[in-house]
Amino acid sequence: MAAIATAINVLGVLFLSHAVYSAYEHSLLPSASTPPPLSHSLLPNSLDPKITLPLDITLETLFSVLLLCAGMVLSSADLKPIQWRVWAGTLEASQEAREVKEVGVGGGNPYQALEERVGFWDVRGVGKATRGWMDGGGDKKGKGRA
Amino acid sequence: MPAPYLTAPISSDPRSALSLAAQAPTFTTSQASSWWSSLPYPLTLFLNTESQEKWTSYENLFLACLRTGDFPTAYTCLEALIARFGKTNDHILALQGLYQEATAQNMGELEEVMKAYDEVLKEDPTIFSVRKRRAALLRSVGKAAEAIADLTVLVDASPTDAEAWAELADLYLSQGGIEQAVYCLEEVLLVMPNAWNMHARLGEVVYMSAQKMEGGDQMKALAESMRRFCRSIELCDGYLRGYYGLRVTTGTLLDALQGAKKGQTTASDPLAGDLAPPSIATVKKLNELATAKLAEIARRGTAGEKGWDGYSEAELKAAKDLIDRDTQRIER
Repeated sequence: MAAIATAINVLGVLFLSHAVYSAYEHSLLPSASTPPPLSHSLLPNSLDPKITLPLDITLETLFSVLLLCAGMVLSSADLKPIQWRVWAGTLEASQEAREVKEVGVGGGNPYQALEERVGFWDVRGVGKATRGWMDGGGDKKGKGRA
Repeated sequence: MPAPYLTAPISSDPRSALSLAAQAPTFTTSQASSWWSSLPYPLTLFLNTESQEKWTSYENLFLACLRTGDFPTAYTCLEALIARFGKTNDHILALQGLYQEATAQNMGELEEVMKAYDEVLKEDPTIFSVRKRRAALLRSVGKAAEAIADLTVLVDASPTDAEAWAELADLYLSQGGIEQAVYCLEEVLLVMPNAWNMHARLGEVVYMSAQKMEGGDQMKALAESMRRFCRSIELCDGYLRGYYGLRVTTGTLLDALQGAKKGQTTASDPLAGDLAPPSIATVKKLNELATAKLAEIARRGTAGEKGWDGYSEAELKAAKDLIDRDTQRIER
């Protein structure tokens, strides 16, 4: 998906630059400055460039804009969940969501702190248990979450 | 800062703490031996090595070293924290207390730590981190009643501290006071109503209390336990603990309801806010849903599919055992 989106973006940019350059080149030709037979221009006289562009340049510009819009939408990031239960479900079910990427970002279930309770940590009991586990051989499958 | 230092090594799995403690010495030396920190004071203002991750890492490494018994490195981390935040900072006072508790050799030294806490609290009774450490120390030496008294004062002073309520609930449960534990867990849910794991915990505790009751009261308690688990599943898709609890409570409730059909009916008083016990059809449907979901989670979790790898092995095994146990019963 990322490759297709990048390809579409690149094509869009190419077509746009081609169309813009073609328009510039076309405007330099002497035949372009002849005003159209019936000039109903919406622009006031001072702002009207009075140049006729061929249809294919216009079509190419529009096509390139469409391509760029499609490419930008496809290459944008995934939408994050807005429903609480979906978000909570990903925290419980996936290991990736539990990693702490920066302070305050990620970190899994924010209510896990109510069950771990760092403020009341029993350092002597847990320390003794850990040292006992280390002395007893360690690195067997530990209980609880990995 | 590499991310592994940002998770606190508090969980029941000791391996994370071991790996953190092993990396601690290299971290502390890397922080200390930078040539620019030996520049005179005005120039060090231009070179900022501060970041939030730095101090969180120091604290997590400190906790990991205390856990594995590496006290010299723990002291180095503590010194760095004191140098940055000062000796009288609330949180640093608690960390100092932690260090002294961990390095105490006998009851005498622990008594001194307790006296130190009391002195700090005499000067400033509002330092909650030290109050919590004091209650934790009382619990750790086995004085549960005093710990409960301490925590009661704490929650009286600060009723929105969910952590303290949760600890009080745990203490009551360890002393056999199930009703008080239920009350404390309900207080936790008042403060944090969307905590799905606390809904599951309350469901578990109410189920425990239901097993001691009889008749109509038991039915009411079982129904409440089932509703708590339902709420936890509403709050969290695919919550293994919630579905496990739902399965267990609906199983027991089905037996109780089918037994009660022949016997008395429960009196539910709508004025007192009681809900009527759920119908047998509803409970059966919930039971089937819970079984199906448990089977799905167990299957996908053990297969290790992407997005399903967060369940621990013990949980998955317990879920599978529960399903197998009941299928065996049906086969017989």
